[in-house]
Amino acid sequence: MSDSHSYPHEPTGVETRKLGMWVFLSTEILFFGTLITTFMIFKGSDFPGMKLTDVYDIPFTSISSFILLMSSLTMVLAHNALEVNDQEKTRVWLLATAMLGAVFLAGQIYEFTEFYHKGFELSTNIYSSSFYVLTGFHGLHVFIGVVLLLALWGIGQRQKGLTLEGGMNLEFVALYWHFVDIVWIVLFTVVYLI
Amino acid sequence: MSDSHIEHPTPQKYVQIAIVLGVLTAIEIALYYTEDIVGVFTDPLLIFLAVGKFIIVVGWFMHLRYENKTINRFFIGGMILALILFTIVMVERASANYF
Repeated sequence: MSDSHSYPHEPTGVETRKLGMWVFLSTEILFFGTLITTFMIFKGSDFPGMKLTDVYDIPFTSISSFILLMSSLTMVLAHNALEVNDQEKTRVWLLATAMLGAVFLAGQIYEFTEFYHKGFELSTNIYSSSFYVLTGFHGLHVFIGVVLLLALWGIGQRQKGLTLEGGMNLEFVALYWHFVDIVWIVLFTVVYLI
Repeated sequence: MSDSHIEHPTPQKYVQIAIVLGVLTAIEIALYYTEDIVGVFTDPLLIFLAVGKFIIVVGWFMHLRYENKTINRFFIGGMILALILFTIVMVERASANYF
């Protein structure tokens, strides 16, 4: 699992599926790196129309950020519970993670709706476009994560229980979920606070 | 699985780590509202705190600090490439504005 196990039958000495997951996350870093770079090019420039600083709500976004941060805790607790084969706790923590993710998503939808009503739309200027593309793609990743978590929870309910083996592996979903969290850690600072 | 098993943190330790992350987030928000007092140090401090939170989540929650070197290299390689891209674009933009 996430320990440094050795796999002498693998050419790299690492489980290939796990290495593949980390390579995928590495490419995701470049994906979000490109979007963040694009956003930073336009941040601070003067464009016609409304600016993000005129509309955003830091207390609200801070609470959303805290919720997503805590979902990483529930995710790691689910992983930990499965490592000791506590199926009940695994399912509870998985569901809690999915719920926290769903609350974050609901908050993002509410925030986008508020911005839209205040006049900060996708087509207001190139800065608003880069904002919606960046945070929208993050939101899409959160949505995929919630679907994966619920699928995993459903598998755990229907079968005898989850294992750390097999294709739909809790560890890979956990890695993906934590990745979504670290992207938001960067976005919260870069987009809202700086 | 393997003989070389490295123990992960306990659930209590994970909760402690989450509390640290929560405190760091609270400091970030406090910095945002005290920008007039903290002045030019606000942005560097915010970046420092974000990097700290990033390292904590990747190292402890994603267990990268317990992982094989190959995995570490792939992840850190992606980070370095993204930072190179960011630096090149920002330098190019700054020079374009300057001249």
